[in-house]
Amino acid sequence: MLFLIEYDRSRGEIVNFREFDVNQSDLAEQSRLEMELDLNRRGIEREVVLLEAANEEALRRTHRRYFEDLVQLVS
Amino acid sequence: MGTEISKTQIDRLGDRLRKGSITDSDLRLLDQYRRSFTEAYEMVAGAIRNKLGLEPTGRPAKSTTSIAEKLQRESIRLTQIQDIAGCRLIVPDISEQDRLVASLAKLFPNSTVVDRREKPSHGYRAVHVLVTIEKKIVEIQVRTALQQEWAEVSEKLADLIDPAIKYGRGSESAVKILAAASHLVAVHEQSEVKFLESQQLASQAIANASLTDGTSDDIISIQREVDSFREMVTGNRAIVFKELRKFTEDLPEQE
Repeated sequence: MLFLIEYDRSRGEIVNFREFDVNQSDLAEQSRLEMELDLNRRGIEREVVLLEAANEEALRRTHRRYFEDLVQLVS
Repeated sequence: MGTEISKTQIDRLGDRLRKGSITDSDLRLLDQYRRSFTEAYEMVAGAIRNKLGLEPTGRPAKSTTSIAEKLQRESIRLTQIQDIAGCRLIVPDISEQDRLVASLAKLFPNSTVVDRREKPSHGYRAVHVLVTIEKKIVEIQVRTALQQEWAEVSEKLADLIDPAIKYGRGSESAVKILAAASHLVAVHEQSEVKFLESQQLASQAIANASLTDGTSDDIISIQREVDSFREMVTGNRAIVFKELRKFTEDLPEQE
């Protein structure tokens, strides 16, 4: 699975989260570019990242920072 | 993907990213450059899945924000950034980490192993295996569960307080606690290795004692030693997280 994440670093929160099938990698990459272009035009600073994992659970395990707050991370 | 882009074009793009003024055409060019790593990334991730039976979490391309920050932080060119594409594998402990790194080095014979456990990078401890395919580098991050937890906390603090924290700058208190936590993680992992060694020695000694004239006192004393190591390992882990919790509780409210 591919996961497109728009993340607001200063708030430590995900703003947008989209899933794609592995055979939709072109669409996922195109969506990432469009998201970055849109944010740049609107002057909004966000981290846009495309990640690949077996499933969302695996992604949440290896990239907890996007999904959890500081308290959850150290509990 | 499309026409080939030159090294000069990429590095000029890097200069513009460093300055922070990015146009639509810059983003499109960066996208094209990042996509040029896709094939190498897929080969590496595929080999890990098919040959090692592991499921890495991959990041086929580093985010624009992270690339721009790296260029602003370090005096390197965009074409010199080694982690445009990468993937991550998490293992339970150092013994497994050593085993996996050895397997990866065997799987990718021309790879370079960067061990950041002995010489951490601003507290960051892990082993990175850099694989080069057709002049494209793919970075495989191999972290223990505890190294991963430390890195997640470090990243989050950098998000919320200041990105410079990850590189030993910015908030002094955050840098201090991360350094202390990293040291505790290292101590914990060293004691874990000692525990496993003592466990192995104990098993051997117990087997030898039962074959010869070993007394039950010998066995009891060996088992006590193993138990004391076990307690130390468990205690260290608790200390690491207690310290980190204490620190986050003292942080000022986020806006």
